Amino acid sequence: MFLLDTTILAASSLLLLGIASSKFSARLGMPVLVMFLGLGMLAGSEGLGGIAFEDYSFAYGIGTLALALILFSGGLGTPYKAVRATWKPAGLLATVGVLITAVVTGVAASYILEISLAQGLLLGSIVGSTDAAAVFSILRSGGVHIRRRLADTLEVESGSNDPMAIFMTVGLIEVLTGNVTPGIGLAGLFFNQMLVGLAVGIGIGLASVWVLKHIHLGAAGLYPVLATACGLFSYGLAADLGGSGFLATYLTGMVIGNHRVVFHRGIVLFHDAAAWLGQIVMFIMLGMLSFPSRLLDVFVPGLAIAVVLVFVARPLAVVLNVFPFRFSFREQVFLSWVGLKGAVPITLATFPLLAGIPSASLIFDVVFFVVLVSAIVQGWSLPWVARRLRLETAPTRQAPVTLEISSLHDIEGDIVDYYVAPEARAAGKLVKELALPEDVVIALIVREHQIRMPKGSSRIEAEDHVVVVLRPGVRPLVDRVFAPRAMEGVEKELPRAVEFPLRGNISVRELEEFYQLSLGGDASITLDKWFRERVGGSRVSKGMTVNCDRVRLRAVEVAANGHIQYLGMTILPEGAPDDEAVRELPTESLVGTDPATGEAASMSVPASDSAESAGSPVVDEDRIARSVAGDRSVQREQES
Amino acid sequence: MKFSDFICAKAIRAQLSSDSKQDVINELVESLLEAGEINADEKDDIIAAIMKREELGSTGIGRGVAVPHTKHAGVDKLVGTVGVSVDGVDFNSLDGEKVQLFFLLISPPDRPGDHLRALENISKQLRGETFCRFLKQSRTAEDIHQLLEEADNNQFGG
Repeated sequence: MFLLDTTILAASSLLLLGIASSKFSARLGMPVLVMFLGLGMLAGSEGLGGIAFEDYSFAYGIGTLALALILFSGGLGTPYKAVRATWKPAGLLATVGVLITAVVTGVAASYILEISLAQGLLLGSIVGSTDAAAVFSILRSGGVHIRRRLADTLEVESGSNDPMAIFMTVGLIEVLTGNVTPGIGLAGLFFNQMLVGLAVGIGIGLASVWVLKHIHLGAAGLYPVLATACGLFSYGLAADLGGSGFLATYLTGMVIGNHRVVFHRGIVLFHDAAAWLGQIVMFIMLGMLSFPSRLLDVFVPGLAIAVVLVFVARPLAVVLNVFPFRFSFREQVFLSWVGLKGAVPITLATFPLLAGIPSASLIFDVVFFVVLVSAIVQGWSLPWVARRLRLETAPTRQAPVTLEISSLHDIEGDIVDYYVAPEARAAGKLVKELALPEDVVIALIVREHQIRMPKGSSRIEAEDHVVVVLRPGVRPLVDRVFAPRAMEGVEKELPRAVEFPLRGNISVRELEEFYQLSLGGDASITLDKWFRERVGGSRVSKGMTVNCDRVRLRAVEVAANGHIQYLGMTILPEGAPDDEAVRELPTESLVGTDPATGEAASMSVPASDSAESAGSPVVDEDRIARSVAGDRSVQREQES
Repeated sequence: MKFSDFICAKAIRAQLSSDSKQDVINELVESLLEAGEINADEKDDIIAAIMKREELGSTGIGRGVAVPHTKHAGVDKLVGTVGVSVDGVDFNSLDGEKVQLFFLLISPPDRPGDHLRALENISKQLRGETFCRFLKQSRTAEDIHQLLEEADNNQFGG
């Protein structure tokens, strides 16, 4: 009994330390899995903890279980939309890509470590897959914002490439121990793994959805447990039938996650927690399993193999697989760099040890080292690389928060909390004026810290929160009323003239040189700073314009801190020297009244915003006229 | 300045096959090469110069239109081409819409006035929604060329 008590104390202490280390991880920018591994190594037999742990089969068991939970949770959070858009490149990367990575790395490893080709290939296969836990954690919570398609490709790839690596590892071990002949036997094993995994995963997924919807359990807490059971059942069944359990559980999670099941939010939260627990336990345990001193022994060959993997094998796999899918060169570089390795290789590296393959211990140490290098170097540098490759995009606008109706029965309805942005259609309108479909009720309006009970005569102000109860089917119509108008908003802001967007953080010199303009002032400062100086230190608001030389610059997107993210540049008609341009001016001023141009005018100034169409064009002409007269003038214009 | 002064009729492409920003720029520059407006050995450098301009801010000006442009010593007069993509291409426009209509412009470095004048003319014409819509609907280079001529003759009331 004392042993058990001590074990629980030690395990919980390690968990606490693991959670504490995640705080440091954010501060250091180091992937959290590296922190966990480091903690495990510290706790291990050669570290401060001195815990002697060398039970590979136990580690393998825990690792497999944790991995199944992580993949199940990853599946729950993967929308079909992401898969539909990316399954071709991601699927190729997850199969052929793993094969290429494994073969290139394997050949190099057999050469570097002076082991047989089959053993080298075994090592290559073990490190062939990217790590779902690491990729998910960096792309979802690591503050790296990249193009959706790129992120989805990486996520779907990492979620689905483990089966391939596992298959290759298991297959090669079978070949090395003489149980399976290469060729037909191996191909059969492959198709069995994939097809059974696919069929079981989707089949159990659909069955789980049906059960979750119809079982009517009395306690809410049972639903997440039921979902876990379904996920693990899917793993077990697929693995027992000779298929890939990991693929099956990932797919089951995906099917459940994409259906409206009872207590959906609870299920997702529970598995998010389970995945975290899985990661901490698995990485700490794998850290304890390693011997830092033996890692030092394989430093040189390990580093050499890591270099081949990162700079040759992975890029080659990426380039050969994604070329039909139109990723830009920079995106391909990024895809190559996100070949993050994680727990799967370390777990897989215990396989040869259990099977008693010669040089298994060497393979384990090298794999561990390679994973460590990949996780630290690639994981750490990812945000930096994304920035350098200019792949970062602005974080997408927060979608309206959907609150779930907490009911143990499946209710066809959502409660949605909309934030009313100033540019939303609903802002400033009475409730009864809103073009809401039927089946929608505004439950309450939250203004500052007050709750208001809505009536038909209540006015919705900008920055209100409006809580709406709706049937899912009418959601897009309601979104149109309350959500910020991403596209329409810009169109509304587009003035009558065409504007070229410019980043606020480019230097004045870059712009001057490109268009041979002379904007005046210090050319080394950013356009944002130049503009703010021009408007005289007052707070820049959207729509302010400055005319200078041949261009007009307008603040298009202003951040909360007053910095201009984007400016719009309009090229003004030429001044007096050019007769032609001057003659064109009257035509411009008459846009609104000339029958021939009536359509153009109604497009630029949406008819619905009658207040604007009355006001702004007058200011506009005034400005053009003044700029032609050579006046470097500053205008401030309130757009709304 | 009229479109006919700088748009090379032989380089107009009605059905672009590219579906990424980089590729569509390649395709348009390639069209100028095939039309004999630029030299083969300067093609890559011109593409790089255009991409460099995109770094200041996308030339996707919204509503499905982009005007990639640059100045480059490889041309001795202003040259340009027009391309239409049926499905549209993601061009990082501020409004997030895919771009269907492309005006690509290369001007010699020593004539900044022409460069701005051409951009201004394009800007002016593109304000007409009918003009844009007709161009986006064009499926042959002849149609596009004809629309440009009509615009030159002020038939869209620009």
